[in-house]
Amino acid sequence: MTVLLVVVIFTIAAGCVPGSDSGSGRSVKFQQYFVEGQSLYEQHCSNCHQSDGGGLGRVYPPLNQADYLEQNFPYLACLIKQGKKGEIWVNGVMYNQEMKGIPTLTNLEVAEILTYITNAWGNSGELVEVSEVDNLLLTCTEPK
Amino acid sequence: MVGVLAVVGLQQCATPEERLPILGQREVVGTDTLYHTIAPFSFVDQDSAIITNSTFQDQIYVADFFFTSCRTICPIMKREMLRVYEATAEMPDVKILSHTIDPEFDTVALLHDFAERLGVTSNRWHFVTGAKDSIYKIAQTSYFATAMEDKSEPDGFIHSGAFLLIDKRQRIRGKYDGTKPEEVNRLIVDIKRLRRENEQ
Repeated sequence: MTVLLVVVIFTIAAGCVPGSDSGSGRSVKFQQYFVEGQSLYEQHCSNCHQSDGGGLGRVYPPLNQADYLEQNFPYLACLIKQGKKGEIWVNGVMYNQEMKGIPTLTNLEVAEILTYITNAWGNSGELVEVSEVDNLLLTCTEPK
Repeated sequence: MVGVLAVVGLQQCATPEERLPILGQREVVGTDTLYHTIAPFSFVDQDSAIITNSTFQDQIYVADFFFTSCRTICPIMKREMLRVYEATAEMPDVKILSHTIDPEFDTVALLHDFAERLGVTSNRWHFVTGAKDSIYKIAQTSYFATAMEDKSEPDGFIHSGAFLLIDKRQRIRGKYDGTKPEEVNRLIVDIKRLRRENEQ
């Protein structure tokens, strides 16, 4: 019985901190998006941007504490789905490695990835709703 | 009892240090054993320098195969190779040789930019390009690493993520999965072992 209790407590405790960044007291929906987003991030993004969002040298830009994410949030959904070629400035550094988009991602998946990357690693965003992604994908204009 | 024997056995193996194996086919000719060595090659690196076997004369080197536009295993391999680069910073006899398997896209200029962005220099880490056939052939027959075009793959190529450890006599002394940090840790340990062997 004691063993079972310990296991249960451990499971609950572990479930509370999916990425250690998700923040306690967030809604269940947020937690779900964050956890799903993390799994999608590991699958599609972390090879280049790394699991800690730190990027790699001046080849792949960081996502943690990246000014580009904050300043260009409305464009991020398009960026994920359509990719991007050419120069991009992040935290004062110019990167120029083509990122291919992943058009097969559903809008829900894009919302989950966005929820994850804008809240992980000390980034402080909010839950990104699917309806928001639907809207953002209607007009994809690259920021200048 | 079995446990005690196992412990004793382990202790006996621990000293003196075992030499790294020599990989590949070998041939015995009279009293000599001929080992598999890297075939002659000639490629061009990110600074337009001609890189041949003699570039690595009296050098240990780590070889791999990649391409800059790859999004699957290459970025992880480059992150891991960067660890090798950093771990061997104080070892003047250790170099890295990364071959692109997409020479049409990865030009000298592009490799130069890539290396610079990675923050590494050509005196320790050569990024080479050359004739596609030569690269694929040396990958398959000298390094036992798979590299070929395959349009059905996400990025158009199929290739292994192997890191190969080559000794000062151009023999393969270890093969490691360059996408697994623990394997790369083993490579870094083996580089040190190989250097000690050379000192003997």
